[in-house]
Amino acid sequence: MDILSVEHLSKNFGANKIIEDLTFSVQEHSIFGFIGQNGAGKTTTMKMVLGLLKPTSGNITVCGEHVTYGETKTNKYIGYLPDIPEFYGYMKPYEYLKLCGEITGLSSEKIKSKSEELLTLVDLDKANKKIGGFSRGMKQRLGIAQALLNEPKLLICDEPTSALDPIGRKEILDILYQVKGKTTVVFSTHILSDVERICDHIALLHGGKIALSGTLSDVKSKHKQDGLLIEFASQTDTRAFLDAPQLVPYITNVEQNNTRLILHTQDVQKLEVAVIAIISERHLLPIKFEVLEPTLESLFMEVVK
Amino acid sequence: MKAYIAFTKKEFCENLRTYKLFIMLCVFLLLGLMNPITAKITPQLLKSLMPEGMNITIMEPTALDSWAQFFKNVPQMGLSVLVIVFSGIMANEFSRGTLINMLTKGLSRKVVILSKFTMTTIIWTLSYALCFAATYAYTIYFWSSEGVSNILLSVFSLWLFGILLLAIILLGGVLFKNNYGVLLFTGGFVVALMLLNLSSTIQKYNPITLASSNMALLTNNMFVSDFTMPIVICVITIIASIGSAIMIFNKKQI
Repeated sequence: MDILSVEHLSKNFGANKIIEDLTFSVQEHSIFGFIGQNGAGKTTTMKMVLGLLKPTSGNITVCGEHVTYGETKTNKYIGYLPDIPEFYGYMKPYEYLKLCGEITGLSSEKIKSKSEELLTLVDLDKANKKIGGFSRGMKQRLGIAQALLNEPKLLICDEPTSALDPIGRKEILDILYQVKGKTTVVFSTHILSDVERICDHIALLHGGKIALSGTLSDVKSKHKQDGLLIEFASQTDTRAFLDAPQLVPYITNVEQNNTRLILHTQDVQKLEVAVIAIISERHLLPIKFEVLEPTLESLFMEVVK
Repeated sequence: MKAYIAFTKKEFCENLRTYKLFIMLCVFLLLGLMNPITAKITPQLLKSLMPEGMNITIMEPTALDSWAQFFKNVPQMGLSVLVIVFSGIMANEFSRGTLINMLTKGLSRKVVILSKFTMTTIIWTLSYALCFAATYAYTIYFWSSEGVSNILLSVFSLWLFGILLLAIILLGGVLFKNNYGVLLFTGGFVVALMLLNLSSTIQKYNPITLASSNMALLTNNMFVSDFTMPIVICVITIIASIGSAIMIFNKKQI
């Protein structure tokens, strides 16, 4: 089932087109990575899903219900973590969660048990001081706790890891991964390693449109790179290898960097067979032999170019 | 309703912990104490400042002088403090983005405005009551209350004008995203009321009467009936301001 579906969404700020005819959907219980450069329109899209910004045109549904601008009923299904979550600095974490719980209409026992559970999850159960004195990472973690308080079906995180140090990032990603079974996570980012670490579905936003989407493995296999990397111990071996005439029919291009070669081809498997034949026939022992996988980074660069 | 109570409690907590409540209570208590004391010691002060040998006759101060101080200080200093303390009430939430968490939790925007209006009204009422109580207590201690009429209506009028200002602050708060905008808007509103007062037809209906003609009411130069229309107009303006604040806020992109 689609938890979130966005159809033909457009948004202009004056004459400035930010989102143009955007269509995508998010399935239940997935971690959906929403990738894009700074200013690509990730936050704008998320704010429209939350009813905080008015779409110029298009349609958004959350759990089958239509999102309306301003007061929207669909927010009861959503937990939202803004890019820089801001809290009332004069409150303590428990007090803040209590306020959030009362606003959503949870019973006081539920608020108490849920707050304790979530603050333990985000490792803030012992931080009994005013939020004003919290670090960025602590605020980000409290942000996740408040977003998960009403057990949302959809958790939207806007660049939750962008401003954090490696440890803080790992903590946030671990938490997101832990909640995967209970809720669907949509998170926007421009940090590709984060996406590779936890997402199963991705969509790449560029120029106001989805440039690339699907499951992470699908996207990668569709854009399978056409290369083999082979590295020899010496220049003689490298030359001996390159002299082999059997290579010629498969290779489209060769990049050479000392003893390291990258062979580009139309058909990786045939080239692989040929290469293995050559090295066994000529007794050449490579120190490295690798089929080049497309990285998200190379896909990103390809699309953005 | 539950959300309204929760958010109003949050407003109380905010005003308490950011010392706004404390500032308001202190300022108004001080004003309340100053009024009768200034009235009492002004003649002595003048006498002591006179060069020797010079003699002027100064009337003995009365309860009316004390109330004159009250109705001069509260509209000028008190209301200014009120506006300055609460000018950032919406702007701070907008500029820091603290409302986003609340609104995406399903908090209705109407509740935000109504809670803030409730809490500021309570604080204004408490501070004003403290000020009034202090002035009243010292005034009857120093003098008899003879010659002072309609004190309750007069005090009520000024209180109602304070509420009007709070409604205007909230309306300004949703119109402008920073507190200078709100200060300008509220200041502009008061100046506009003063300018309108130049026309004698509008004068009869002008809510500014509630904050400027209180002494006339005490000394029977104006009558209760003169205050009826300004009170009605004031209440209508309060309701209209809060209503439009809610409507504008509902349509605002955050």
